[in-house]
Amino acid sequence: MKETPLSNCERRFLLRAIEEKKRLDGRQTYDYRNIKISFGTDYGCCIVELGKTRVLGQVSCELVSPKLNRATEGILFFNLELSQMAAPAFEPGRQSDLLVKLNRLLERCLRNSKCIDTESLCVVAGEKVWQIRVDLHLLNHDGNIIDAASIAAIVALCHFRRPDVSVQGDEVTLYTLEERDPVPLSIHHMPICVSFAFFQQGTYLLVDPNEREERVMDGLLVIAMNKHREICTIQSSCGIMLLKDQVLRCSKIAGVKVAEITELIQKALENDQKVRKEGGKFGFAESIANQRITAFRMEKAPIDTSDVEEKAEEIISEAEPPSEVVSKPVLWTPGTAQIGEGIENSWGDLEDSEKEDEDEGGSDEAIILDSIKMDTGEVSNIGSQDAPIVLSDSEEEEMIILEPDKNRKKIRTQTISATQVKAPSKKPVKKRKKKRAAN
Amino acid sequence: MAMEMRLPVARKPLSESLGRETKKHLVVPGDTITTDTGFMRGHGTYMGEEKLIASVAGSVERVNKLVCVKALKTRYNGEVGDIVVGRITEVQQKRWKVETNSRLDSVLLLSSMNLPGGELRRRSAEDELAMRGFLQEGDLISAEVQAVFSDGAVSLHTRSLKYGKLGQGVLVQVSPSLVKRQKTHFHDLPCGASVILGNNGFIWIYPTPEHKEEDAGGFTANLEPVSLADREVISRLRNCIVSLATQRMMLYDTSILYCYEASLPHQIKDILKPEIMEEIVMETRQRLLEQEG
Repeated sequence: MKETPLSNCERRFLLRAIEEKKRLDGRQTYDYRNIKISFGTDYGCCIVELGKTRVLGQVSCELVSPKLNRATEGILFFNLELSQMAAPAFEPGRQSDLLVKLNRLLERCLRNSKCIDTESLCVVAGEKVWQIRVDLHLLNHDGNIIDAASIAAIVALCHFRRPDVSVQGDEVTLYTLEERDPVPLSIHHMPICVSFAFFQQGTYLLVDPNEREERVMDGLLVIAMNKHREICTIQSSCGIMLLKDQVLRCSKIAGVKVAEITELIQKALENDQKVRKEGGKFGFAESIANQRITAFRMEKAPIDTSDVEEKAEEIISEAEPPSEVVSKPVLWTPGTAQIGEGIENSWGDLEDSEKEDEDEGGSDEAIILDSIKMDTGEVSNIGSQDAPIVLSDSEEEEMIILEPDKNRKKIRTQTISATQVKAPSKKPVKKRKKKRAAN
Repeated sequence: MAMEMRLPVARKPLSESLGRETKKHLVVPGDTITTDTGFMRGHGTYMGEEKLIASVAGSVERVNKLVCVKALKTRYNGEVGDIVVGRITEVQQKRWKVETNSRLDSVLLLSSMNLPGGELRRRSAEDELAMRGFLQEGDLISAEVQAVFSDGAVSLHTRSLKYGKLGQGVLVQVSPSLVKRQKTHFHDLPCGASVILGNNGFIWIYPTPEHKEEDAGGFTANLEPVSLADREVISRLRNCIVSLATQRMMLYDTSILYCYEASLPHQIKDILKPEIMEEIVMETRQRLLEQEG
């Protein structure tokens, strides 16, 4: 599917917000999104999440014959794929431009920087060398694929263990995983790409653009650096003109960011190492919380609530205090009591039957209400004020059982029967449709 | 700034079976519609194993011997004579590509476009070079479907003065199946705003122009600031349309107007709350039923 075009007002809104130094997700200009690294059960498998952008990296190895002009060096092979689930715009035939650009950048970053010692991958010179293959899959596209992909690649390479090989004279023994522990690759340094997006012809700059920001950006500068502040690759795309000091400033920012990210990677690798050594559980299933594979957890967004309390106090001081609710039950007769205001008695001078009707009417309303707190002590203290009313029990119908509630609530019309009142509060309250005689 | 927060909780929707005499026959892809082989197959069905099976999710419509399934949520399928609201995605040689929420981008040929001034003349090379001056990428237009190509792509024209580039207003995107087919899709609502109900599901709400502009043919964008009262009417209308679409009501001028009137006692931002949305739409439904008979 082709991408739905961004509307003009959305574009203008994003650009205006960037001019005012505001980003849609609340980040600062130089802030990265949260990076989360999780490892699979196999060595060399990892998922890196940069905000919502997700890249899966897998490293594998194979013994092959070396290239003719490089007889003593191993072979490195990088491949980044944009999966169709990453974005609706990614289709099997349509991604060529972006794909070529990302793959090329990744290769330059990792291969030309010589971060992996290829000489150590040689087994028998001229005959057998290790071919290391790094496969990266983009699982979700929310901007800044290249950063996430480079982190995934280097993490997967650091995590990977290749089978141990020993050479005795002419004999080459390849040990399986059971015979000898696999051996890590020899990695000199960790190059990590940092992307800078430029807006309004280079006036404004953002680090780690997300998908919306990428759509409205003018140009992109990618600097691949390691923690020793050595630049491995630098690329500027979309043809914007950058000044010398802008590029220098970006490289300084990149240095800081790369140091942070490298520290994070080291910590993640150490954690995984520790868990495996102690025999604990590891793998993707452990890194997903809540035992639900489909849970897409939202991160807590920091909200500035410094001025919230003042307003609340203003409102509270200006508002009237809530009216006191008196829910003292009134005992009409040893058999009926009433809590709350109740309906005004508009029947005038009631005879017994009429009052019974009124009470029945009241109890019909009471069916809708949920619960009352039974305070047996309080009710029993109240003496009967009215003359006892004899009610016929001929229309007794089925009972609806209620659970007593702890909270006292303000109730409009409610009647409880004497049996409820007399019974201890442990017994569930029965609410009746019709009244029963007290005796 | 006051904020309102609520926890997610499963809500029971109010009963929707008001006033529908016969239950619609709803199917999902793979459902058998009928085993009777005497029917002709329409859209959304296919014949398999002696049965008529649905290929889309929707309601079954039967007209004499023709059985078809009308999909609930679908991309826009063009028909000649429909009014659509679209956004320009590309400017090509002698034509524009317009996005209309259909499977393929629609085409607006330079020769199907009104020239400013309303003149009728042959399009020259200068016109071709000046295309971007008329319509750029990102502009919204209203147009009518002139023809449908064999692959389903739609060819548009703006050969009347009421079509053309749209100025200030609000666009609401709903499913095309919710827009009722009527004689006219341009409505001036008495509440103070005008609305264009595009058949492709794009609905454009804009302030009613005081005087009808006969000359420009819809190319000059009116950029004067819109008054606050008009803006409030437009936002209320927009929220009403969104609530009608959420409750799957058909959208036409009467239903939108009734919904607007039912929403007046509430604040504009409250209309989007689920319970108020249901209340307003129920009231609208009630009034529509009373009006029908």
